[in-house]
Amino acid sequence: MAGKIDTVVICAAGLGSRLGLDMPKCLVEIGGHPLIYYLLNVLYDVPNIRMVVGFKEDLVMECVRKIRKDVVFVRNPAYTSTTNSYSLYLGSHDLQVPFLNIDGDMYISRENYEKFVDKVKLDEDLIGVTLSYTEDAVNVLLDSENRAIGFSREKISNYEWTGIAYLANIKIRKEGLYVYQELEPYLPIQSQEISCFEIDTPQDLEYLSNKIGHL
Amino acid sequence: MRVAFCFDLDGTLTEEEILPQIAKHVDLYEEIELLTKITMRGLITFSKSFKLRVRLLSTIPIPTVKHTVNSILVNKPLQEFVQKNKADCFIVTGNLDVWVDEFIGREYGCAYFSSRAKVEGEKLIDIEKILDKQEAIHALRSTYDIIIAVGDGMNDCTMLEQADIGIAYGGVHEPVSTLINIADYVCYDGQALAVLLESLKQKHGREN
Repeated sequence: MAGKIDTVVICAAGLGSRLGLDMPKCLVEIGGHPLIYYLLNVLYDVPNIRMVVGFKEDLVMECVRKIRKDVVFVRNPAYTSTTNSYSLYLGSHDLQVPFLNIDGDMYISRENYEKFVDKVKLDEDLIGVTLSYTEDAVNVLLDSENRAIGFSREKISNYEWTGIAYLANIKIRKEGLYVYQELEPYLPIQSQEISCFEIDTPQDLEYLSNKIGHL
Repeated sequence: MRVAFCFDLDGTLTEEEILPQIAKHVDLYEEIELLTKITMRGLITFSKSFKLRVRLLSTIPIPTVKHTVNSILVNKPLQEFVQKNKADCFIVTGNLDVWVDEFIGREYGCAYFSSRAKVEGEKLIDIEKILDKQEAIHALRSTYDIIIAVGDGMNDCTMLEQADIGIAYGGVHEPVSTLINIADYVCYDGQALAVLLESLKQKHGREN
């Protein structure tokens, strides 16, 4: 069923300064491979992949091309003064088809990816949520049918948004500040619980290194 | 809105550089390939290098050159895109009209901007004019609202600078870094590029 995703937009333009390494987060080596290697492998059956690049774009493009030649790179030269929402706008504004949005510093297993994709209906928006684990998360309030009915930086629920979203109707605006704020006008949005992991801090990196090392 | 697509020819629409192939007739393949490479990198200006390359190749009769050019490998997905949208597609090449006219007509069927040759019979006498690629964008400006340009070399920079959307395409070579720095998209696969072009066409074609 995973083959129903036609296009994925991966945002990987940012500095990732909280991790404290002088390289884009998607290039950080874990288990002998750059992080992006695992994501591109999970997305092996997606025909169209776009990647928004900014910080050290030449290194990112060189690395990604070795893994997959047909990725289309979208440049965000203003990556230091713009947010992820702007990168997502750049990567998606011309798309005429629904697409999956995922961050370049995300680690997700194929099993969890399929769990999300199985829930995708082609003309409906869907977001991936996970049990809260980070401090500055975007928390998601869910109703009894697992539809997201509110986002907040406050601890309003036990779930947080993973940054993963299937956008069928939602259009990201150029002037948006945060992606979750771009989703808010479209609430309620169906959600699917998945397990995945984002690398923001040195602790995240250590945790994932141990995890992948044991796989 | 009306959307135009401008394509570099050598190494963008074609899967090999054309001049080195022509040079095989005078046993100068390696020399011309080297000159082509350093020109792409911007180590010598296009016009100086082109004059030199044409001078080295000018002894080859034009029909022989045409015959070689006609056997150049083309990128199929991009060829299909151009053929399907030929009214709004333009090839913008520094190459000579007398060498590529027949090839472009047969493989693409679209209009083109090129450098111009001075000929006598079947003999190439001199270069009459070397194309500065931004001239193509200026010429199309009054007819089109959005101009999308695709290229890989240093001489594509003025074209991408003047266009509304620029795509650096590394089908044969890594695009020169100056071009990447002014591009909106960077792409290394012909099929992926064709999908991107179709998406941009749909999006901007629908806008008022």
